[in-house]
This record gives sequence, structure tokens and C-alpha cells, in this order.
Amino acid sequence: MGIPEERIERLHEQSREAAAAGDVDRSQEYVRLARRIAERNRLRLPREFRRFTCDACDAYLVPGVNAQVRLQSGHVVIRCDCGEIARYPYD
Amino acid sequence: MPLTPETLTRHELVGLHARVADATNPDLIGVSGRVVSETERTLSLDDGSRVRQVPKRGATLEFRLDAPTDEAAGAGKAPGTPSELPSETPGVRAGQSGGCEGEAYVTVDGARLLSRPALRTEKAGDSTWR
Repeated sequence: MGIPEERIERLHEQSREAAAAGDVDRSQEYVRLARRIAERNRLRLPREFRRFTCDACDAYLVPGVNAQVRLQSGHVVIRCDCGEIARYPYD
Repeated sequence: MPLTPETLTRHELVGLHARVADATNPDLIGVSGRVVSETERTLSLDDGSRVRQVPKRGATLEFRLDAPTDEAAGAGKAPGTPSELPSETPGVRAGQSGGCEGEAYVTVDGARLLSRPALRTEKAGDSTWR
């Protein structure tokens, strides 16, 4: 595994910790940086990262805190506090 | 590539513990804490009570790598505890200092880190022209 992948992994962890500690700005900053690294190095972000970050505002999503999760037939709907809705299938 | 003394300048600094070993600003010497943020020219260190923003240029930073670095190059230097000491690989631009129990301390000239955070992996640290 190369350095960019590892940086993304570390930032993911840091972002999750910052979000858990209530430090929203910092967790957003880490998500942005991880996305930028993935973009520069043409990497796909890990699935967990994609599922738990907001595409619109880069927030790290914590269900029950800044995200609403609803299970529907065939798909999950997760809605960020900013209003962005993401849907993904069960798999 | 794991986070080792050799790759530190191109690796993620956020989350590492750092200490300012030397700086052109005497007030910043001795500042230590977790790196919480990085910009092109500064690092922010959180010491628990406040966040200090330290310019990279002119500062010498000592990073603590928590995971023992498992280096083939370190074996020659300290046969007993090769995995606990930072390796003394020739050609590494970062100066090395002593290791403690299960930790390695890496001293880096802040000028080595001058780069935008996302581009540091691509640009900083590898040049032999500095």
C-alpha cells in the first residue's frame, strides 16, 4: 500500500475521532484533505469513507448526531444536516 | 509504505505528536502537542489547553512515531532492539535522534515540510537538491 492510501486511512480515522469529539470543522478539514489526496493520486476512496461522509459539505456523518439514517426497501437513505441526501443499496 | 522516518516527510502528519526542538522564534521552542492541522507553511500543535500554530520554516520538529518502526536498515545500528530505534539510513535528510520504549523520535527540519498538505506526498522530501 502506498503512502497516499495510508494518508487517506489515517485522515479517515482522525476525522472520525474529531467528529466524535464534536470538532466539526476539523473533521471536515480532514475529509477534504483525504478527498484531495485521492483526487491527486487517482485513488478510489474506501467504501466506509464514502458512506460516512457528506458529498456536499464534507462533514463526517455520525448517525444520530448530524445524520439521519432510514432503511427502505432495497436501499438506505442517509441525510446530512446540510440537507444532502445519499442513497445506497443493501449489499 | 508504512510511516517510517524515511517516509515521514511525505506521510500524514495530522495525529502525530510533535515537539518543536529548535526555532528561530525562541518562544516556540519546547512547544509540543498533537498535530491537528497543517497548512502550506505552518503546523498547528494542540497541547491540550491551546492550539499553537508553528511556522515550518525556521523550525526543527521532533515527531514521535508510536508504532515501532520495523526497519531492515535499523538492524545494523542496534542489534538488540532494531524495531524500537529509528534507523540511521544514509541519505535520509531527516536527522535521527534516540528512541524510547516502543517509540521512535524523528527530527525533521521544518523546511523539508514546506508544501501544501495534499501535495507533500508528491513533492516534498524526495529531492536530493536540497
